[in-house]
Amino acid sequence: MLISVVTVWTIALGLAGFALWRRPDAHRPALATGWSMLKPLMLRLPLAILAASFLSQLLPKAAVAQLLGAQSGLPGILLAAIIGGLFPGGPMVSFPIVIAVYQAGAGTPQIVALLTAWSVYAIHRVMAFELPMLGTRFVLFRLAVSLLLPVIAGILAGLLQDALGLPAMLDGGSFALPAPAGGQ
Amino acid sequence: MPSPEDQPEPRRRGFGQLAFFAALALGSGLLLWRRDGLPAIEAGIDASLSLVLAVAPVILGAMVVAGYAKALLPRALIARWLGAESGLKGLLLAMAVGMVTPGGPFASFALVVGLAGTGADIGACITYLTAWSVIGLHRLIMWEVPLLGVDLALLRFGACLILPLIAGIAARILVRRFGLQPLPTRIG
Repeated sequence: MLISVVTVWTIALGLAGFALWRRPDAHRPALATGWSMLKPLMLRLPLAILAASFLSQLLPKAAVAQLLGAQSGLPGILLAAIIGGLFPGGPMVSFPIVIAVYQAGAGTPQIVALLTAWSVYAIHRVMAFELPMLGTRFVLFRLAVSLLLPVIAGILAGLLQDALGLPAMLDGGSFALPAPAGGQ
Repeated sequence: MPSPEDQPEPRRRGFGQLAFFAALALGSGLLLWRRDGLPAIEAGIDASLSLVLAVAPVILGAMVVAGYAKALLPRALIARWLGAESGLKGLLLAMAVGMVTPGGPFASFALVVGLAGTGADIGACITYLTAWSVIGLHRLIMWEVPLLGVDLALLRFGACLILPLIAGIAARILVRRFGLQPLPTRIG
């Protein structure tokens, strides 16, 4: 966690320093852009995270582990790619839900396939931007050449994981979810 | 004549998304409350609060980065880099440019629309869009590292590094073999 704070702020200060040195006119538009991107997140992100946290407790862990667990192999990767393709919304919607699925017992290659499918197929983005701007023909062409990418990513992630000797379940970031209450 | 890149990003359906999350949180919260009672709700709120506090400094910094990147890296420059090379070198360049392109989908698609009119290579366009969406640094730093953790974020990045090239090469082969014309030829 600390490492991402440090990385991000190092880059931010570096860019601000560069602007101060070479492009002092860039400060105002830069901060205006940043603020306009931040504003909608301030309510949306906490709500999304809260929803994900509830959902992750509701998710049937046994079913998730069985369908998408590390031992589900290639069928699990294929299923994850399909689920990821159907995910609605941008990162602030999807990441917390993806983490909920990961914490519920999905395997790492399956999660990589899911995340990749969500970013490559991106139904929300296709509908809102790509179709109106680039046309049906381009969208279908792009989807056709991208069809197998999430599966390839899932398989490569599994190979990388083995080659690097990483544990089956990686650190789920800071999203430490409560253990299922389950009446205890 | 204003190019498509100069037009402002259209208003996102911000309210709809907000309503969606509110409904999702409320609905799942109610279900959880009925099933597991109040302690489960409290645990969920606790976990969410600590995550929000943990990612807030990262997101704040990321917005500063995105703002400066957008102000310092004009689209015209990106477009010039994209059309500059052909062959594998062109794909590698498109991939690098896609990785560093900041901002939302509108800007990136607008760039491809602009390129289409200049007779750009379809492989470079596809590689650019794929790189921007799967190995974009803005997304890695802003979302993946804070929410997924460094290990998972980097593993995914590594596994996806080659995907933009695969897509770009596949696109070139398809166009060459079947004479497809997927790019819109008129500039909108």
